[in-house]
Amino acid sequence: MKHVVVIGGGVAGIRCAIELAEMGIEVTIVEKQKHIGGKVRNWHKLFPSFTPAENVVEELIKRVQNCQNVQIRCCCEAENITPHQVTISGGETLNCDAVVVASGFTLFDARIKEEYGYGIYDNVITSADLEDMLNRRAVKLTNGASPRRIALLHCVGSRDEKVCQRHCSKVCCVTGVKQAMELKRLFPTADVFNFYMDIRMFGPGYEEMYREAQADYNIHFVRGRISEVSPTIDGKLQIKAEDTLTGRPLKMGVDLLVLLIGMKAGDSNKRFELSCHLRRQDSGFMQPKDSFLGNVESNMNGVFYAGTVTAPKTIGESLNEAVTAAHSVAEWIKHTA
Amino acid sequence: MINFGFSISKPRTIDIDRNNLHKSNEIIEAMPELQTCIGCGSCTATCTAGNLTEFNFRKVHTLVRRGEYQGAYEEMNKCMLCGKCRLVCPRGINTRGVVMLIKRKIGDF
Amino acid sequence: MTFFADFCIPFIVGAAYMALVVAWKYVTWLRHLPKSDLKLIAKGIFSLKSLSATWEVIRESLLHARIWRVNPRLGYMHTSLAFGWFLLIAIGWIETIAYLGFRWVPLQGHVFFKYFVPKNNIETHLPAFDFVMDLLLLFVLSGVAMAWYKRHNSKSVGMKRTTRHTRFDRIALTALWFIFPARLIAESITAALYGGGSFLTGGLGDVLDSIFSRTTLYSIYEASWWAYSCALGLFFVAMPFSRYMHIFTEIPLIFLRHYRLRPTAEESSYDRFEIEACSRCGICIDPCQLQSQLGNNEVQSVYFLRDRRYNMLQQKIVNDCLMCGRCEQVCPVGINLNTLRLNSRVTMRNTPNEGRYKYLKGIDTSQGEGRVGYFAGCMTLLTPKTLHSMQQIFDAAGEQVWWADKSGGVCCGRPMMLSGEVDAAQKMVEKNKELFRVHGITTLVTSCPICLRVFRENYDLEGIEVLHHSEYILRLIKKGRLNITHNAQLTFTYHDPCELGRGSNIYDEPRAVIETIGQLIEPEHNRKNAFCCGASVANTAISDAQQRTIAQKVGAELEATNAETVVTACPLCKKAINRGVERRVADLSEIVAENIKNINR
Repeated sequence: MKHVVVIGGGVAGIRCAIELAEMGIEVTIVEKQKHIGGKVRNWHKLFPSFTPAENVVEELIKRVQNCQNVQIRCCCEAENITPHQVTISGGETLNCDAVVVASGFTLFDARIKEEYGYGIYDNVITSADLEDMLNRRAVKLTNGASPRRIALLHCVGSRDEKVCQRHCSKVCCVTGVKQAMELKRLFPTADVFNFYMDIRMFGPGYEEMYREAQADYNIHFVRGRISEVSPTIDGKLQIKAEDTLTGRPLKMGVDLLVLLIGMKAGDSNKRFELSCHLRRQDSGFMQPKDSFLGNVESNMNGVFYAGTVTAPKTIGESLNEAVTAAHSVAEWIKHTA
Repeated sequence: MINFGFSISKPRTIDIDRNNLHKSNEIIEAMPELQTCIGCGSCTATCTAGNLTEFNFRKVHTLVRRGEYQGAYEEMNKCMLCGKCRLVCPRGINTRGVVMLIKRKIGDF
Repeated sequence: MTFFADFCIPFIVGAAYMALVVAWKYVTWLRHLPKSDLKLIAKGIFSLKSLSATWEVIRESLLHARIWRVNPRLGYMHTSLAFGWFLLIAIGWIETIAYLGFRWVPLQGHVFFKYFVPKNNIETHLPAFDFVMDLLLLFVLSGVAMAWYKRHNSKSVGMKRTTRHTRFDRIALTALWFIFPARLIAESITAALYGGGSFLTGGLGDVLDSIFSRTTLYSIYEASWWAYSCALGLFFVAMPFSRYMHIFTEIPLIFLRHYRLRPTAEESSYDRFEIEACSRCGICIDPCQLQSQLGNNEVQSVYFLRDRRYNMLQQKIVNDCLMCGRCEQVCPVGINLNTLRLNSRVTMRNTPNEGRYKYLKGIDTSQGEGRVGYFAGCMTLLTPKTLHSMQQIFDAAGEQVWWADKSGGVCCGRPMMLSGEVDAAQKMVEKNKELFRVHGITTLVTSCPICLRVFRENYDLEGIEVLHHSEYILRLIKKGRLNITHNAQLTFTYHDPCELGRGSNIYDEPRAVIETIGQLIEPEHNRKNAFCCGASVANTAISDAQQRTIAQKVGAELEATNAETVVTACPLCKKAINRGVERRVADLSEIVAENIKNINR
């Protein structure tokens, strides 16, 4: 039986493993966390349909666990890759016929954008923190009160030369709108302001969601990037931005500031590049063979990509790519057999 | 008080056909990255001078790029050149260089 | 003896021409010196300062002590050329006296002594002189050989790059290279024909004698002296317009410096002495990060001085400098490179506008009251962790603080000064001074080295002590007002900010503070040799991508120490280094605030 190693047990990795297993290929998923499911595990609801993230993750996990020929190796990292061998933490080597790299991305560390006060002031949180709070049903200020005025800041760690992240993280715009709506549902009397540079509503249903947020949820959209956050004497956060549509500086006190953090290239990408000559883009994401027919293939025969390892993507896109990758792998194995 | 960009005697429209873009092109040629401005307003929001007086760096350089030079020199003279804007610009524009360049190229227009 | 032959003409013309031009230069420069400078000269000239200056002239202009410290081989090369040539002249003079007694001999008589007084013309031959002169000639020739080799392989003398020269420099350089080989040949032929000479000229003379016939040697005898004289003459003519003008400029410069003349914010005639004292040795090129890390050529101090000297200075060259001071640190002539670059910026600045900053009138955004004032500086507002940590430190020490600019204030003026607009900057200086006075502070603490420097150098704050936060924190610790937990497990590396280290000579205080907290691991380049983070406000020419490249290279060196935390003491450095490293970058105040043991209130 043919054997494929899938690096990363996030949604893309799991989806790919299921597809491969169904084609009669033996699969090993190498996951560095304790559980598979990836970052979607920690998410609350998914745009644009507000589908609970657990519905997607649990369904995937159930299906992969039902696959006879999928072995899951948690708490171990891929150290070195060749098309026919993967060395994992501890030095063990897994022989295989092909490798799928689905190791995903890393969340941008908001502390680097020091001027936004994350890790310095209370009530400055990231979008990932907010999802976690939503999951725990614990969205509140550090003093336990409900926020009455909330600001969400788009593009934190995306499209920002100053933190060496030139690329657009694609999903934060939609997430920002989604989270604004969720916050408004939780705190109907609160004022919610989204500070943005551009709103990029590229997917099906996204623009509709944006419109709904404006029309039905009364969410304020301010075109301007927040430049500084400082604490006020009464325990609030004062934010400064330019309201670029009026051309005047704007400042306001808010109770809660949500930073919509972007997707950074996965931490392991550099290692893959160094150890096995896989090409990386300037952004740090892996470079697929091409953008069209070879978008799930790497520059090395027998190594494939799925999901956000090559660029920021939505969950739907990652899942689609996983299926494509599985089929490309199967074809490759058949071809070389 | 300079009411930059809103003077009554001038027509409201930015008339690109009538504006002389020669200076503006020279400025862009010397500092091509200025064209990458996405108008996020970070520079203006963080501006030390803008905190104390009416001064909008983003608006001034945008108008200059459109060939609207009147008052730009006086406006840019409000800048303290502290460099905060350069530190926040997500496009990595050499904003201090832009201030000096515009002043030099435009003078008392 | 007449001491004249036709071949002397190029030498005489060259030497006379050089003497005239150099004298004319001296007189013009001195005449245009500001009155205050002339007073200083009058005061210093008959004091001990002249003696110490003489000693420095010997040490630097002849022996080149400072170049020895840069690289011994490079030092040898310069010493052999300068000191060797000097000794050839001096001993040659003594030789003349020894043979001819005290009588007037024209200059060419000394220089071409071997021609006018060959061995067969002398009654008592003094072979010791021949030996010493040959030894000295060999000494100089070894230097010439090294200089020639250096042109082709600069690494051999410890330089990655050497200066790209102007045409005049090339002429002078070529002439200089020819002078000593030409002298060797001329004297050797003379020795072959008329005897004399020691191991070198005599030896070579014997070899020539054995190879060529007497007739051949006679026929090239005159020509060889012509060649020597022409090389000298050519060198002398080119010299005042080439880099070799430094030979004669460095001497008065050393004296003027001992009389406490300095370049100022505005260009003055004194600058000419500094500019023409540059020998274009190119030692300033390697330390320049714009060269080593960005590959920007033609902007380094050597080129800046060259362009300014020949009146072909371009704005972009003037602006393209980080003013990190790394070149000043190594300049063997000790030229005030930053001040000169700055006063060029002042000259080339935009038209000043008197009406600027009217809006500052009546503005006061400060908060709190106290004898201690804290000036965060514009940049620190973008690193609020520093602000927050300073608050914690002040609280722990029980200090009452006047916050000058917590919610934004007036810029200190240094960035404006660095762009040459000193008159505009002065308005900010006055404004801040007024605020400091009104609020009656006696100590001014700042966490920004850029502000620190302008407060100390340009503010004239009598009665107010200006401290960088590293100095202030160390003082609190020493006085026991701040108790810090020490944990040897914590490892830090420290990046010296340019304005703090080379700019304000503060190296030890931040290190002492770090060592009270944990272990300090020094990066490869530190203290006086520390790298610049690349974000310097002094440079308005390089792009963001170039700034990032520098930051990443500097960051890599800091990460190589494997210390957990990279510490610096400047908001700009912090922001810059954060772009180049993966691990934590912290301001000094942060690591202090995190490790405070006591709340002293």
